[in-house]
Amino acid sequence: MLASAIFVVSLVSHIEVLIVLITFTIALTFAAKIVKRFGKSMTFFAPLALIAFLLNYYVFPVGLLTATNLALRLFAVIASSSLFFLTTTPDELEQVMRWFHLPPDLVMIFVIAVRFVPVLFLDALQIMDAQKSRGLEFEKGNLMKRLRNTIPLLVPLIAVAVNRSLELAEAMDSRAYGATKRPTSLYVLKYNFSDYFTTIAGIVMSSFGIYFALFGRLW
Amino acid sequence: MSQVLSVTPSSQAESLISIRALSYRYYASSRYVLNNVNLEIQKGEVVVIAGKSGSGKSTLLRAINGLIPHQHSGDYSGKVIVDGLEVLSAKMSELATKVGYIFQNPENQIFMFSVERDIAFGLENLSFKTPDIREKVDWALNTLGIRDLALRAPHELSDGQKQRVAIAGSIIMGQKILIFDEPTSLLDPYTASNVIRIIKNLHDDLGITILIVEHRLDLVSQIANRIIVLDEGKIVFDGEPRQVMYSSNLSVHGVTEPTIIRTTKLLDPGATGPGKSYPLTTHELAHELRKQVPRIGVFQKGSHEFGTNR
Repeated sequence: MLASAIFVVSLVSHIEVLIVLITFTIALTFAAKIVKRFGKSMTFFAPLALIAFLLNYYVFPVGLLTATNLALRLFAVIASSSLFFLTTTPDELEQVMRWFHLPPDLVMIFVIAVRFVPVLFLDALQIMDAQKSRGLEFEKGNLMKRLRNTIPLLVPLIAVAVNRSLELAEAMDSRAYGATKRPTSLYVLKYNFSDYFTTIAGIVMSSFGIYFALFGRLW
Repeated sequence: MSQVLSVTPSSQAESLISIRALSYRYYASSRYVLNNVNLEIQKGEVVVIAGKSGSGKSTLLRAINGLIPHQHSGDYSGKVIVDGLEVLSAKMSELATKVGYIFQNPENQIFMFSVERDIAFGLENLSFKTPDIREKVDWALNTLGIRDLALRAPHELSDGQKQRVAIAGSIIMGQKILIFDEPTSLLDPYTASNVIRIIKNLHDDLGITILIVEHRLDLVSQIANRIIVLDEGKIVFDGEPRQVMYSSNLSVHGVTEPTIIRTTKLLDPGATGPGKSYPLTTHELAHELRKQVPRIGVFQKGSHEFGTNR
């Protein structure tokens, strides 16, 4: 659905198509029972679309229609991205990557990058505390000074991450990583009704996108 | 003063791990971390390898599971044979099925997004079929008592739980040897003794040969049947724990002796001769004290309080 939305918004500039796309995305959030979380996510990110509208309308004289169009495009991408990340766990995403036969190393890079986000976040907090206790004030000073202040955070963080990665590589080797080019999986992905439905809906949307891009109208 | 107390077992051919004249120097280092090490480890042993930092104990473990020389380049000479496989010529993935390695920080060896996916990691790499992986994962979850954690994400686990997940992921391929690199160093005393109990169960129930690197011997000496002390890349002591700890002063080699041993040595300065049977556990110490000083020696098994006869 996300792919289809990006495809459509990059091809089509018709407001009615964008409205259909956004409506369909919102309908899917009802079907997935994630309306509340989707609402929260959108209240955080949707102002970006508003800013895009205001910038385009007032700063660059592009006209009301074009400004609305651009804002709706952005909104459509944000909405479908939210839908995607709220309905798909990283574990499922990893399985999909395997299902598409992406190289195992690439899949593992993705897995480790996402898996270690909370770990590195905790590392960063610990380093911040250590540096604060040595008298560093992250919150003080002008923008340049604050930027410079991130160096005592980033340098140890990178060092910690590199050390972790070395032990990680040892641990992976100790558990037969790379024994085969086609590792199997504990879970097997199966297409169910909702998968078929969204896939077909995505294909239909994309086809309309192509049609509109070519002919500029429905009939 | 240094001595190797136990003689190398005569049946070398049957050794599960056989290390002959192993020397190793890391790339760009002038110092040999391991210096002509000879060692035979039999099936079913629980071996504690102790020594100060830089004595070569972790390097020795890495030489057994193949990370040295396969992942670390350096100057390697000698022969290491693990369950019939020569480490130098075997593939890392072959060695992984023989030796499980539990690192000091289990956080760094849990890669996947859920506990059961992580436990399955080794079997997935070996291209096992899904039903077989499921069966073995269920077995590992039950063996380590972590079935209720199966679908949890790694960042939701406590340190002790992470340690258990790491162990489950390391026995899943049916490894006969488990290596623990300072398994209790990051844990609180209660969790640490739980981990030691788990290690003992793995040995008793599954017959797994255990190698543990530690420099604090309080907990591990109770489950070990052999202690090896390394210093400057050489084996300086090798023998049965009681024998090693009462025949020598291990603190000069950077090893913290168990409190029981230090107490006994303080109470009886002559407690260093070979052949004597001195206590290794709290119960044994209490029994010994009671024999020597009956007046204060009332200690009831199962309780943790000392009393007096009067």
